[in-house]
Amino acid sequence: MLVSSSKITRAREMVTKTEEKQLNQLEIQVDNGGGGTWEYLCLVRNLKVRRSEKVLKHGSSILNDQKKRSALGPDEWTLNEQVAIAAMDCQCLGVAQSCIKALQTKFPGSKRVGRLEALLLEAKGLWGEAEEAYASLLEDNPLDQAIHKRRVAISKALGKPSIAIELLNKYLELFMADHDAWRELAELYLSLQMYKQAAFCYEELILSQPTVPLYHLAYAEVLYTIGGVENIISARKYYAATVDLTGGKNTRALLGICLCASAIAQLSKGRNKEDKDATAAPELHSLAAAAVEKEYKQKAPDKLQLISSALRILKT
Amino acid sequence: MNLGFLVGVFGVLILSHAAYSTIQYRGLLKIMEEEFSRPPINVILELIIGLALCMWAALTFPGKFLSIHPDSDENRAVFLPDNSDFMIFNHRGRLFPPQIDMKF
Repeated sequence: MLVSSSKITRAREMVTKTEEKQLNQLEIQVDNGGGGTWEYLCLVRNLKVRRSEKVLKHGSSILNDQKKRSALGPDEWTLNEQVAIAAMDCQCLGVAQSCIKALQTKFPGSKRVGRLEALLLEAKGLWGEAEEAYASLLEDNPLDQAIHKRRVAISKALGKPSIAIELLNKYLELFMADHDAWRELAELYLSLQMYKQAAFCYEELILSQPTVPLYHLAYAEVLYTIGGVENIISARKYYAATVDLTGGKNTRALLGICLCASAIAQLSKGRNKEDKDATAAPELHSLAAAAVEKEYKQKAPDKLQLISSALRILKT
Repeated sequence: MNLGFLVGVFGVLILSHAAYSTIQYRGLLKIMEEEFSRPPINVILELIIGLALCMWAALTFPGKFLSIHPDSDENRAVFLPDNSDFMIFNHRGRLFPPQIDMKF
């Protein structure tokens, strides 16, 4: 007996350790044929993770079964949409076509289904036709955020990140609170090695969501990549913020602190020793190194010697 | 889980027995034409024990407490969800599509 899962309102835009564990356990259970398929599909959709192959496999097994499909009630159409997108991602265009056809029959003239049709054109590689479809959809609803985003995605898929950046900048002038768009813009800038612009995007994300540690981590890494004493000092601060927000469990941030401290020591060699920012928190390096070694001792004991020697080199 | 439920039921029974004992005691006082000042000591003990058992059962039986700190181990962020609004389909996975049969 399949039970419809209630809609979960998410206050935060990140996946926690508990949710990840739950997702992985449910995935193993579903893969081994232990039931819970619908719960797994709901969790994938709610957490917005990209598990297209498994969604396609298990979702189509539900859609193939008339009894299971009827038991879902109105959620059947949500599943159709989810399986259609997963099928496009896996290049199973026949499956996607079947799902979209079912949705067209149920919801004729729907703009959401129209967007799915245009998405199918993208999956087929018919970029011109997809652009025309989006343009016609935008005539009816010029402020549809999802369609603007798809136009950015088309430019990205065509290998034209500059055009995608231009479109995304225009989009963000209208919808400047869209965190996903800022994140996508930052990644596009990073792909073009435009680190200053990417840093600005991450600053916007940190301003709007200061409690998400992964934005602090990404910003710190961009600053470290730009280089320079001032930027590396700031990067160390943001790595420390990441460690603070994750309860000391983010190994990447801990290693970042070690690297920043080492880089600051190298760049400040022979320079003014009175610089307060450079010499602030001298114990941070040793504490971060100790935390990393402790983590490796627990989770990867065979690599402990390797990380210890690497950290020792960083300390010199 | 089952133990918590049994403890709760036992606590409620003890409280009920304390109430019944108090009623009996007041009836006895009426017969002896004495004034009611306070329940006997055994009834007070029953009340305290029953309350403790009920509170313990109410805290443990319905479910375990979840941590509310955002930086605790189970609540910390491990990764951001994929940016599905900007998902593109021309990746290397398109060369190896899985074989799925649709019958509906």
